Amino acid sequence: MTVEWHIDVELRDQYERGDLDPNRVMAVEAHMLACAFCRGEIQVDFTWLTGNFSIVYDSIHAPKASPAQRLMTRLGLPEHRFRLLTATPALRWSWLAATIAVLGLAVAAAMLFWAGAGDDASALFLILAPILPVIAVSGAYGPAVDRMHEITSTTPAAGPPLVLWRATSVISIATVTAAVAGLLLPGPGLLAAGWLLPALVLCTGTLALATVLSLPVAAGVLGLVWLTGVFGVYWAQQDVFVSSAFGPPAQFGYLAVAAVAASVLFLRRSRFDVRER
Amino acid sequence: MTTVTVRGLSKHYGSRTALHSVDLTINGGVTGLLGPNGAGKSTLLRCLATALAPDGGSIRVSGFDPSVPAQRTEARRRIGYLPQNPGLYPNFTAYDLLDYVAVLKEITATRRRRAEVRRVLDEVELTDRAKTKVRKLSGGMRQRLGLAQALLGDPALVILDEPTVGLDPEQRMLFRALISRLGEHRTVLLSTHQTEDVGALCERVVVMSGGRVIFEGSPRELAGVADGQVWLAEDPPKGNSAYWRNADGLYRTIGQRPSGAEATRPSIEDGYLMLLGTAAVAEVIR
Repeated sequence: MTVEWHIDVELRDQYERGDLDPNRVMAVEAHMLACAFCRGEIQVDFTWLTGNFSIVYDSIHAPKASPAQRLMTRLGLPEHRFRLLTATPALRWSWLAATIAVLGLAVAAAMLFWAGAGDDASALFLILAPILPVIAVSGAYGPAVDRMHEITSTTPAAGPPLVLWRATSVISIATVTAAVAGLLLPGPGLLAAGWLLPALVLCTGTLALATVLSLPVAAGVLGLVWLTGVFGVYWAQQDVFVSSAFGPPAQFGYLAVAAVAASVLFLRRSRFDVRER
Repeated sequence: MTTVTVRGLSKHYGSRTALHSVDLTINGGVTGLLGPNGAGKSTLLRCLATALAPDGGSIRVSGFDPSVPAQRTEARRRIGYLPQNPGLYPNFTAYDLLDYVAVLKEITATRRRRAEVRRVLDEVELTDRAKTKVRKLSGGMRQRLGLAQALLGDPALVILDEPTVGLDPEQRMLFRALISRLGEHRTVLLSTHQTEDVGALCERVVVMSGGRVIFEGSPRELAGVADGQVWLAEDPPKGNSAYWRNADGLYRTIGQRPSGAEATRPSIEDGYLMLLGTAAVAEVIR
């Protein structure tokens, strides 16, 4: 900082005699930090002064820990990780969109159930719910959703670590919301959890495919494949759709596919080419 | 000082070639990258900053190859980048924004991170604006904040893409002073349209045109390109040669000597225009 004024003699004397109130002491010390001339005029311990100023400065300017941050820190999430996940406006929108979509879908399914379309309501919920975390993941990273992506993408945290942390946080929010909504609202009951493994398949599959394609394209491709396949089953076996597409044998199949996708993701984790082509 | 080595670098956007087998070596101090719009300056800087993957050729930043994922992270640890459109989050305060970028730059310990944020705010003379939201900062202050985020982690290589565009003369002078200080201990690569910036700041200058490097040397050598080919005349030169009227009311032209004209000492801009040819001269006059 450049300084164009200096502490006058009277103020300097009052400071040295200790006659100033704390606010004025702080102002004088803040000035001295920036002004070599005044530091030379008054006997001060510069190290002590700098330390005090830093504490005061940070307490005024540094971001305050929110109750959510304090909770997550107690649960073991490091402070900087929380900052990484919550600071990005793009991620906040992604979370919000996922939460609204999941809640909207759950409410729609419940209303259909109340209207007497029980099986159709279950089918609608189970078909669409796995897609939502994928949509949320696709909105978690990239130039289309983050105005600071040009800078973000050139930092050491860019690439796999950031994509995986953001995807995990978005999936967690979407999954917890959907699970709670599915269990609380009238409708498919315990079967509401039947979409969780398909969602896991689609999310890990999207991340694995994102080692070849961009994240939104990978999410779009897998979402389309899922909808095509599951609607195909629905039209072919409408009467037994829920049990054939979401029953125990199908769930084992989803688990196996999710394991394969996770393996591919692990093996190709360094291939997340987040650089623009 | 960090060395950047570029060999045979190429980049295409569809049928358009943005970089055409570029070879370049950049050592310490401030290097200016000059060139008209579409010359490939930003594409080259984005490749060096690891934001953009080139189609061919190689880059080494302090010996690390950004095309290899593990080495890319190492290269990124040594790079600070201010893009042309940094897109700083408008609702963040200056402190919050730097704190967030510091986390992205792996400065994870809270105390160290805060010390680093204070350091860069002080370096760009924004200490008293820490609590101001980005959208309330002036254009010059926003650019300085952009520079501050590039300086987090004390990178050895600082890449600045047209940082002085749109700044008023006072802010530009302040920015120049900052860049000049940076160049004392770092390698700074500065893309600009302003030949005055190059003259004031750079030990070395690279001129690009059509995706190629057409000149590498000192600013004095760049001015020397137009030696004996810059003329001042009292009357407008006849023919097709490009000319403009200077503050003394004399007509300045580059190239063949108009009748009655006297030779004058070339500037960096003259050398630059001489290199780029009449199209660039016409662009300047327009």
